[in-house]
Amino acid sequence: MNKELEHSFVEQLRTNQNIVHKVCRLYTNNADAHNDLFQEITIQLWRAYPKFRGDSKFSTWMYRVGLNTAITLYRKSKRRINTQEFDAVEYKVKAEEYDDTEEQQLKLLYKAVHQLNDIEKALVFLYLEDKDYREISATLGISEVNARVKMNRVKKKLRTILNP
Amino acid sequence: MDELDLLKKDWNKETDTFKNYSDSEIKPMIHKKSSTIVKTLFYISIAELGFWLLAGILPYFLSSTFKEKLDTSYENPLFVVFNTLSYLVILLFIYLLYKSYKAISSTDSSKKLMESILKTRKIIKYYVIFTLSLIFLSIPLSLYFEYNENLEFHQQIVEANTTQMIILYLFAVFIAAVFLILIWLFYRLIYGVLLKRLNQNYDELKKLEI
Repeated sequence: MNKELEHSFVEQLRTNQNIVHKVCRLYTNNADAHNDLFQEITIQLWRAYPKFRGDSKFSTWMYRVGLNTAITLYRKSKRRINTQEFDAVEYKVKAEEYDDTEEQQLKLLYKAVHQLNDIEKALVFLYLEDKDYREISATLGISEVNARVKMNRVKKKLRTILNP
Repeated sequence: MDELDLLKKDWNKETDTFKNYSDSEIKPMIHKKSSTIVKTLFYISIAELGFWLLAGILPYFLSSTFKEKLDTSYENPLFVVFNTLSYLVILLFIYLLYKSYKAISSTDSSKKLMESILKTRKIIKYYVIFTLSLIFLSIPLSLYFEYNENLEFHQQIVEANTTQMIILYLFAVFIAAVFLILIWLFYRLIYGVLLKRLNQNYDELKKLEI
């Protein structure tokens, strides 16, 4: 494959890698799985890169491939033994002995988001990334109205998880 | 404040906790082997095409009695038509599979991507149904050929009474049914495990449209 293409891809991915990390944070719950998914998304991005024409932003294009990989394409590798499950946020909070109510609430929020299903997580992810409903609907392949309706339901669901 | 807005505030400032990969770390990553369900599906379809093709061809080369029998069968034009048709259908399936794999793209919307994967799985399913029906059809057909060409068998059938005939029929149907059910269960298991999550997510998206 073209060296120049590879070079420009790697550079763009490096500067935007946080997008991939964020997808991984939402869809995995331990470091091994996180790295595994990061690896797979990287491969998928590279494969789709020749089709990336630059008519949208590189980051916008990444959201789509990243989410598609996490939701649909990715298969957990069986070789991994997931023993060391940990919640990154919980870990951080404990380490600092933080007793801030907002911090506590955030910890619970992250936990609640992890309990959502794959599609709901995708909606939350795009919302957190400040995407408008037009882009959310185009990424997932649903209508704008349905994206709005679903988003409201997800918010309600989160509230129920937080205040049972 | 909305719960999600609280999360949003934190979401974007926390980025420094992630490992920051350098160019030299990313470069080898892009050439690693991927493990996606499309790839697994691809291997399964290749294995299936290969298995059924081999199942049709191998006995011809391995057993000389079977070879002889088959050679005489080829004198029957009906058999030749039947056989040629089945190979044409296999070619058609290979073409359809190729096309549906090409249509799977990670840059489509999630729903479209899921649909193309499910469509591919459907083509594999139709191929399996086709092969199984061929096998199912071949049982009465081969009995019929045997009846016409094997004098001894012909004589036995002519002399058999009704009960014996019923037993023979039941036995043939029973064997065929057991065989088919086993294969069917096997496929349900493979695809059930492989596509469970995809089906769930697809249903979730579909549910939004009602």
